[in-house]
Amino acid sequence: MKLLDCPVIGKRPISEFDYMGEIRIPPVDADEKTWSEYVFNRKGAPCSLREAWYHRPTGRWYVVVRNTVTDEIEAHVDISEVQYELPA
Amino acid sequence: MNYRLEPQPYEWISRDKTIRFTFEGREFQAFEGDSISSGLLANGQLILGRSFKYHRPRGALTLANHDANALFQTEAEPNVRGDVVALEPSMKLTACNVNGTVAKDKDAKIEYVARFLPVGFYYKTFHKPKKFFPFWEKMIRSKAGLGHVNTQWDAQRQSKSYAFCDLLVIGAGLSGMQSALAAADAQLNVVLVDENPFIGGSLDYQLAHEPRVKALRESLKESVSTHPNIRLYTSTLAVGWYTDHYLPLLTPHGMIKLRSRAVIHATGVMEQPAVFRNNDLPGVMMASGIQRLISRYAVKPGQNALVLTSNVEGYRAALDMFEAGIAVVAVVDMESIAQRGEWAERVLAKGIRVLEKHGIYEAIGRQTLQRAIVAPLSGESCDLSKKEIFDCDLIAMSVGWVPAAQLIYQAGGKLSYDDTLQQFVPEFLPKGIFVCGRLNGAFTVDQRIADAKAVAQEAVAFLKGQKESRDLTQYRDTTAHSHPWPIIEHPKGKNFIDFDEDLQLKDLKNAILEGFDNIELLKRFSTVGMGPSQGKHSNMNAIRVLARSQGLGINATGSTTARPFFHPVPISALAGRRFRPERRSPLHAWHEAHQAKFMEAGVWLRPEYYGASSARLDCIQEEVEAVRSRLGIIDVSTLGKIEVMGPDAARLLDLAYTMKMSTLKQGMTRYALMVDDSGVIIDDGIVGRLASDQFYVTATTSHADATYKILSKYVQFCGLNVRLVNRTGSLAAINLAGSESRKVLAPLTSISLSESNFPYLGMREGLLCGYPVRLIRVGFVGELGYEIHLPHNAALEVWQRLMVAGQAVGIKPFGVEAQRILRLEKGHIIIGQDTDGLTHPYEVGMSWAVPLNSKAWFTGKPSLARLKSSCQRQLVGFKLAQGAPKNLVKECHLVIDNNEMVGRVTSVAYSPTQQCVIGLVMLDQPYADTSNPIHIRVDDGRLIRGERCSLPFYDPEGIRQTSAVEEVLV
Amino acid sequence: MPWQLLKYGFKRSHDEPRFFPEARPLKKQYDVVIIGGGGHGMACAYYLAKDHGITDVAVLEQGYIGGGNTGRNTTIVRSNYLTPEGVKFYDTSVKLFEDLADDFDLNIFYSTRGHFTLAHTDSALRTMRWRAEVNKHLGVASEVVDLQTLAEEVPYMDLTCAGHSPVLGALYHAPGAVARHDAVAWGYARGAYNRGVELHQKTRVLNIRTEKDEVCGVETDRGFISCRKVISMVAGSTPRITEMVGLSTPIEIYPLQACVTEPVKPFMDTIVVSGSLHVYVSQSSRGELVMGASVDPSVLHSTRSSFDFTEGLADKMLDLFPFVSRLNVMRQWAGMSDITPDFAPIMGTTPIKGFYLDAGWGTWGFKATPVSGKTMAWTLAQERNHELIEPFRLSRFADFDLVGEKGAASVGH
Repeated sequence: MKLLDCPVIGKRPISEFDYMGEIRIPPVDADEKTWSEYVFNRKGAPCSLREAWYHRPTGRWYVVVRNTVTDEIEAHVDISEVQYELPA
Repeated sequence: MNYRLEPQPYEWISRDKTIRFTFEGREFQAFEGDSISSGLLANGQLILGRSFKYHRPRGALTLANHDANALFQTEAEPNVRGDVVALEPSMKLTACNVNGTVAKDKDAKIEYVARFLPVGFYYKTFHKPKKFFPFWEKMIRSKAGLGHVNTQWDAQRQSKSYAFCDLLVIGAGLSGMQSALAAADAQLNVVLVDENPFIGGSLDYQLAHEPRVKALRESLKESVSTHPNIRLYTSTLAVGWYTDHYLPLLTPHGMIKLRSRAVIHATGVMEQPAVFRNNDLPGVMMASGIQRLISRYAVKPGQNALVLTSNVEGYRAALDMFEAGIAVVAVVDMESIAQRGEWAERVLAKGIRVLEKHGIYEAIGRQTLQRAIVAPLSGESCDLSKKEIFDCDLIAMSVGWVPAAQLIYQAGGKLSYDDTLQQFVPEFLPKGIFVCGRLNGAFTVDQRIADAKAVAQEAVAFLKGQKESRDLTQYRDTTAHSHPWPIIEHPKGKNFIDFDEDLQLKDLKNAILEGFDNIELLKRFSTVGMGPSQGKHSNMNAIRVLARSQGLGINATGSTTARPFFHPVPISALAGRRFRPERRSPLHAWHEAHQAKFMEAGVWLRPEYYGASSARLDCIQEEVEAVRSRLGIIDVSTLGKIEVMGPDAARLLDLAYTMKMSTLKQGMTRYALMVDDSGVIIDDGIVGRLASDQFYVTATTSHADATYKILSKYVQFCGLNVRLVNRTGSLAAINLAGSESRKVLAPLTSISLSESNFPYLGMREGLLCGYPVRLIRVGFVGELGYEIHLPHNAALEVWQRLMVAGQAVGIKPFGVEAQRILRLEKGHIIIGQDTDGLTHPYEVGMSWAVPLNSKAWFTGKPSLARLKSSCQRQLVGFKLAQGAPKNLVKECHLVIDNNEMVGRVTSVAYSPTQQCVIGLVMLDQPYADTSNPIHIRVDDGRLIRGERCSLPFYDPEGIRQTSAVEEVLV
Repeated sequence: MPWQLLKYGFKRSHDEPRFFPEARPLKKQYDVVIIGGGGHGMACAYYLAKDHGITDVAVLEQGYIGGGNTGRNTTIVRSNYLTPEGVKFYDTSVKLFEDLADDFDLNIFYSTRGHFTLAHTDSALRTMRWRAEVNKHLGVASEVVDLQTLAEEVPYMDLTCAGHSPVLGALYHAPGAVARHDAVAWGYARGAYNRGVELHQKTRVLNIRTEKDEVCGVETDRGFISCRKVISMVAGSTPRITEMVGLSTPIEIYPLQACVTEPVKPFMDTIVVSGSLHVYVSQSSRGELVMGASVDPSVLHSTRSSFDFTEGLADKMLDLFPFVSRLNVMRQWAGMSDITPDFAPIMGTTPIKGFYLDAGWGTWGFKATPVSGKTMAWTLAQERNHELIEPFRLSRFADFDLVGEKGAASVGH
């Protein structure tokens, strides 16, 4: 089992997390093409992926940069760096 | 003839404890500590099994857990490894894959047709004509497999445990013990494992008679056994390496899942066979296998031995056999004796004949080894003009080694072929992976000690965060211990490369000729390395054969991928203790006591109905009838229940749900529909407002955790000032539904239930039976009703008091089935039943829940804006003629029009209220827009006509759940 | 013993023809370049040559033939899908499979075993009925069977599931089969090679050159190839290829794992799948139990193994088959699944002229090998999508016109 080393909660087995994939920000006021690309398309190629993991026991989300080939966590991202606003 | 030796210095057997067992019905005796194979060999039983394909007799080979041809069937298990599994009293053994006895196997006749069965023959025949293949297949299947499974065996599950350490050392031989000790002395928390029941490794069999290591052996064993920083696990296999140094350790008592910070592999090397005709005869063994037999079990597998060697280990084995009273008829050295130094001198000093630059051309024997033809090597083949025949019943093969590097490969390490050593050695090691000993090419005692100390230092530095990578080659030997081509051609073949799979040299050559000239293709076509030993003694020679045929070096040829497991792992150990959590409502015991029949709803158990299962339908109809005419009560504790608090609470719910929640008035609730980015319906529930900054949200049973997760995602990713509490487990919920609900509830609660104070869709907080509760006036079932949300520990008392209070009006508990009918009568959908993975709100008539114009944003809005105009399906109500059978139409029966599928039934039930079968169908456009009657194809193929109905079926004006109900004020 | 084997016994030398060519130089130009020498790529090459007479074709394979997901799956073939488009497509595949051995003159061990998908819940049973009804309507033999039938057909299975989530019924699909996966790829490869197609193993594609959204060639580690038609048939490596032409797709890569036990005498003749327990199992002609589960939980371009997988699988297996606790798991492995949001493949033409896609095979690519080869060859020859694959076109996502297969696909390989 892989470990995810998170701020505050420390190293936890990956089985405690739900994987929520690539961080994607909804394109507000997008045209139809941009919107459907947002909904369906993904950055599928190997890369350093900025992605969200949900820690079930604490109900907290973590954002990490993970190498999707080696499975190594390359960086932790403060959630404030990926926060976005939506129209009220 | 006596095969048992005098006591050996490090033997594993207890001579005072005799074990009686049977093999093929015959009684045998051995000692406690004997393995199945050693116990049989001690009795002169040299044939231990038959081979997989040709059913050739086979004996012991390695005694190192790799003897795939000595697999046994017990009453409790198939495929028991005889070479290492200890004998137990009264064991009843037979050999696996034998038709008859090991001495007389009826399937051995297959060998007569072996010449017609070239490599991959099964690809080339049996398929023509097609109709006969099932016949051939049946025959092939009857010959497949090894041991037998008894399908009456019960499930065995071993418990598991977790362990943690700084450093795991695998292998407690000289190198492993030495490195573990050095690391432990440096204050690391060390786990040392060895697959054998005793530590010592090759010190105790290959160097058992070497006086120079006596003191070292004693001191190392003593130190690692008593060191406070070392936890020692014997009879324990590290079966795989997984990410972040997670290694399952297979012990006799179950699996230990170990998380280490670093791993030292001191797993040593595995001896490899020479390839010559009949090299599989019982009596032909690895030299190290013979040494294990002698040292561990005090058994000699033969009386007259021939040693085939190309290293000093062969000479040492010759001496050990000599000491054990085995006559060594000759040492056949494939190379020059000049390279063997003092060991050769010691062998010669015993009067043992040494034939240098010779090879074994052929082993001969009926069933077991009797003679061998030895001849000088001319190039790589035997010069038969000078052949000599030796009578012998034992051949010790000592021609080379491969590193036990499977776990290193799994960890992403790379090995490369060293031309000096003629062996693979580690070249690149991933972070935290370390190696030492023979695995790393250090062969002499001095080299191994120095290498072990150096690797411990390296690991300590690594764990302290210092980067100190060492020169792996520093203590490697400078002479080869493996022969580059331990293969002698023979025109008649039967020179086996793979004993598990019965593959001869020519099989591999022919596979290569047919184009399978890549190591992976070769493996897949010929099946080399795919048997129970997973290529442990066949892969290296296969690589040598392929490399030569392609004119490539060993490195360019490469090797196949090593995957877990290093050694087969019982499913009982993998499975562990059974753990299936199941959630129960606080009312579960009450339901049970009242004849509830339970059904699973996600991880919950819920009452499906109450009463005898023989009267299932009647019970359900009565429950429906009670709700419609009087009063019903249902446990809805499984609903998701989430508190949403904070200044941005309304904002959050506006984002997450389609409808606007920020306009909700305090004390009121609203239907809440959740869709995903693509507009597909994923959940529904209600949102109630308790204060300007406080909401209470419900979600469906199966989606409760997901809804909480989605809400928390918005909170954290949109930076909202909201606090969420998931109260699904801490709160219970009861729905009291029916025209009498207000009358029954009112006397028990502090909340005024008057229409003016507590209208339809209202939510109030107060006391019920003295407990703090929330009442919500909602009507999923379409009657005047109250959903009571209350503390978990209050649920039973409140439920019971409601039952008492309702007795006079005929209150009846109802289950999930009745609720399904009741909601169907009201035309309410169940998400996941009336919807599928693509259903959006427009398809289920919920455009009223999609405020495209009045809301700036909600999840899925742009998708729904597009889907609105391209609605391809529509959920429609239907009913069957009165008197139609109640169970004729089932959910998921298809709607057929002109022999085309145009829809399917998503919900259907007999409605006691409507006195007919009603249901919902999801119809394709444009058919949905017509008013044609629908035709449903039922199980027997008949088309049943149904009429379309507008929804809801029952009380279309919604009078019964709103104000028109008779006011009862207390 | 079949007479075909006689010749091997009476010949001194082994003069069987090669299945595949020896390595040879690449030409400078081909009519068609197929990227990926797995089952799909080889099938496409075979049908291009056989059905359309197009033989100026190079198949480029970075490793060896059939070394990707073709050799890593659990070899199940079935057509009991939920959507009409899925059923028609896979039914065509089943029918092609049935004749492959004859076509190839190679035994692919295509063995019709019957396939049970167990339902442990009401809702699963509903989905089974849905699939059965759709299948029957389209002439595919599927039916919902009750516990009594299951007890007769799979007598050694514990229908109570050790007391939790008991089996309620099952979808029985008589045509469900297994085949020797490698042999399928080899048969197609040999057939394509014999018809003049070039197979280049150990040849890696580095880039695809386009001009004005039109393909003009492929750069490889062995040099540049000029061509007007390129098809990507690389399953788990699809995003690497689509990235080369700047094509964005919904495909994400998740590992899918499987394992086998040591061989035991055959006792299990059917294929059993449980969606709720996430297990599927069959017994191979070698006697090994071949077992799998659902895909791993996070994106990964790697075929590493995880221990959680074998632990979970072993645990669930014992609910259905208690006696297998005495068997040993011998080997585990993984493949890279190219997963789409609607669990249906992505096939056909793309916005880049001359670039064709055969991808999104998720966990069910093996069973589609013949039909995808056949339809993609047609599509390449005609330069428009074959009608069977039209529902699987890439543009369905932009059009919000997805395939509704998700409802049936919790686990079902």
